[in-house]
Amino acid sequence: MADEDEDLSHLRGPEPADIDLSDETQDFRFLDKLIVQDKGTLSLPKRGEKDFEPHATSLQLDTLEASRQAMHNVLSWTRTHTRKNHILGVYHTETNMAYVEKIKSQHFQTIGKAKGNILWLLPEEALFMVERGTLDCRWPVKQINDEEHESVRSEELAPMSLQAAYAAFIGFEGGIGGKLTLEMYTVYAGLKRSGYIVFRTGTWDDERAELQYPNLEKGKSTKRSSWSSYFSEVWQRLSKPSIPPLTASALQFGPLLKPGLYRNYADIYRLLQTIPTHDRKAPPEFMLTADSTNPFRITFDVYKAATKFKKSERGTPDFRISVINARETSIPTAAQLNDLLATMPYDPPNPADNMDRKLLHGSRNVILAVVDNGIPSYMRFADVPVSDERLYERSDRAPRGKGGGRQYNPARELRMVAELASETAQKSATSSLTDRLGRRLKPPPRGANIRDI
Amino acid sequence: MAPVAEPFPISHITGRYLLFDIDAISHARREHNICGVLVGTIPNLSQQNVFLGVPLELMPEEARVLIEQGHAYLVDEAEAHQTGFAQMKREDRLAYLQTLDQQGLERAKVIQERKEERSEKVLREKGLVPMKQESSCVAPSETSESTSTPSLGIGISNKESTAELSLFGRPSDPPKPVALPETKLEAQFITPTTSYPPLAPRSVNSSLPLPKVAQNYPLFRYLHSMRYFSMPGLRFGCHYSVYPGDPLRFHSHFLATGIGWDEEFDLLDIVGGGRLGTGVKKAYLIGGEDSDKATQNASGDAPNEESVRAFSIEWAGL
Repeated sequence: MADEDEDLSHLRGPEPADIDLSDETQDFRFLDKLIVQDKGTLSLPKRGEKDFEPHATSLQLDTLEASRQAMHNVLSWTRTHTRKNHILGVYHTETNMAYVEKIKSQHFQTIGKAKGNILWLLPEEALFMVERGTLDCRWPVKQINDEEHESVRSEELAPMSLQAAYAAFIGFEGGIGGKLTLEMYTVYAGLKRSGYIVFRTGTWDDERAELQYPNLEKGKSTKRSSWSSYFSEVWQRLSKPSIPPLTASALQFGPLLKPGLYRNYADIYRLLQTIPTHDRKAPPEFMLTADSTNPFRITFDVYKAATKFKKSERGTPDFRISVINARETSIPTAAQLNDLLATMPYDPPNPADNMDRKLLHGSRNVILAVVDNGIPSYMRFADVPVSDERLYERSDRAPRGKGGGRQYNPARELRMVAELASETAQKSATSSLTDRLGRRLKPPPRGANIRDI
Repeated sequence: MAPVAEPFPISHITGRYLLFDIDAISHARREHNICGVLVGTIPNLSQQNVFLGVPLELMPEEARVLIEQGHAYLVDEAEAHQTGFAQMKREDRLAYLQTLDQQGLERAKVIQERKEERSEKVLREKGLVPMKQESSCVAPSETSESTSTPSLGIGISNKESTAELSLFGRPSDPPKPVALPETKLEAQFITPTTSYPPLAPRSVNSSLPLPKVAQNYPLFRYLHSMRYFSMPGLRFGCHYSVYPGDPLRFHSHFLATGIGWDEEFDLLDIVGGGRLGTGVKKAYLIGGEDSDKATQNASGDAPNEESVRAFSIEWAGL
């Protein structure tokens, strides 16, 4: 529809009666005005002023009436296709998908799957294209005999209304074996409207996704040079003898801290750390048996919009989202969350970040899109490596990554030991998963709208 | 807005309750305080999430209230479309196509007219309008002297810019533009919003059973009977955010959570809900139905709202 006033847009002088966006209230009245004015200058209004309660003044009633009327007008827009930009699709009954015969739209750079000359659209893709007014999808003719089928051109098939598209792509899904729900579609469409590139994760046919093993090669690349590792080796040898490894028998009787010579507090804290912790670099394991009805699984791979994006070589997704229906699913159990996180890639925080950021980032994380009757809330769940980030070893002020050959500096010595210690595998408590989850389904710190991430 | 005949149909698609008819959406909002959630993309405004369009997703509670009070009934859309379109007769299909073609032609006409109006406006701003139209635009308060001068000036500018004008394909003599669009006009393809028509409306008798609702339904029904509007409340950690009037115009007053009459709940829930509610200038509200009272009164047709009690909790800033 942009083409209807294209030829005039460059002619427009400054509009004298330009409406000030921040002056008006944010409701449909405003949107209506914007559209009637000029599409080229369209931008969305800010949050408007609302009233506290009705007080039956005619001013208030008139404003409300105007808002409702504007809303009605906006909702009444019809989806039309000019001959020039007409994309004609046909619904395919057997797969509950749609196919487009000629590919001539930029949308198909990030949507659909081409097979030969035909582009196939998954239910959510087809429905979104219909809904945004891009695709004209048609009902196929029931094949009575082959001759009649041959004679019907695509243009002569009955168009699918928006209602029909919902009925088919979501309503028929149950009968076909697919699994697209309205909640998944709500999340899909919301992300697409925000400009993300969204694909199904896998085919949704398998019982559960595959385990993602930590890629430790990635961690090695950030390792220190051989020169500094030589020094840390030396420091390790120098500092080790003063901390004898604790044996079970020693724990049974003696005090945790034996009388002796301690050079620093860190040594003492380390001796106090007796509770084994979970090793996040170890290969993950599932805790539950495979079950295709488990709602906690990755639904969509989400990519930030990029100019060079190719749908054949998508690369690693920027986000992975699991869609949850708030009205049918309660908060995940520790086992469910473990299994969900096990299918996420090992994604350690940037070692250069400060401690708070590292803790928030977690070693594996997943975004849950919890949909309550059409309103999605995005929450981020992360496996927080609390045991790996030791407060007593924190040295935020010390500069990092300088080579050797400097004069003796006790702070530096400490840091090197700390780095070494964090590399040696630590045992950790598996119960930490449950600790991290509050009893209520409330957003974890920083687990906010996806755009904030 | 066209009047809506009651009961109006609610589309039931895989356990969700949707409204596609714009008049029905407005009707439910105005007459029955049911606002639902718009979940669809607005055509040509598909790059934003602030304003959303058809369809409207109703909470099961909302659908149930409408149906219980006899304002609406449920239609199984998957089944209706399966029989209606997948087995559509050839004649019906062609008739449907013809009506849509007609609409598309009208639509193209409207767009053509609007386009002309706009180009005229722009040309007028630039001072390139033919004399006749310019003189009709002049305010009557102006003197006859001033009306004559602009028309003269325009006449000159018109001559100067004939070459520029032809760039926009707009002929300089008036009768032609009327004839030109007629020949160029092509019907646009239309994707209708609803499927009724061509599908025949379903009868009320074929309505599906009542929507299944959770135990917080009595509280919803109670608040609705008090003329409150409700929206889904997960974002605020409650079941419903409750508005004193249309959410288009008013802020919400309560964060409501429905619980069972004898159900035990944590004191922490009250603390959490109360603090969150007070923090966003709302009150936390809990309520439930006395099942004993409800069964006593069940002999009557309408559910008795006296069986429901609600309490609001606010953090007193002492």
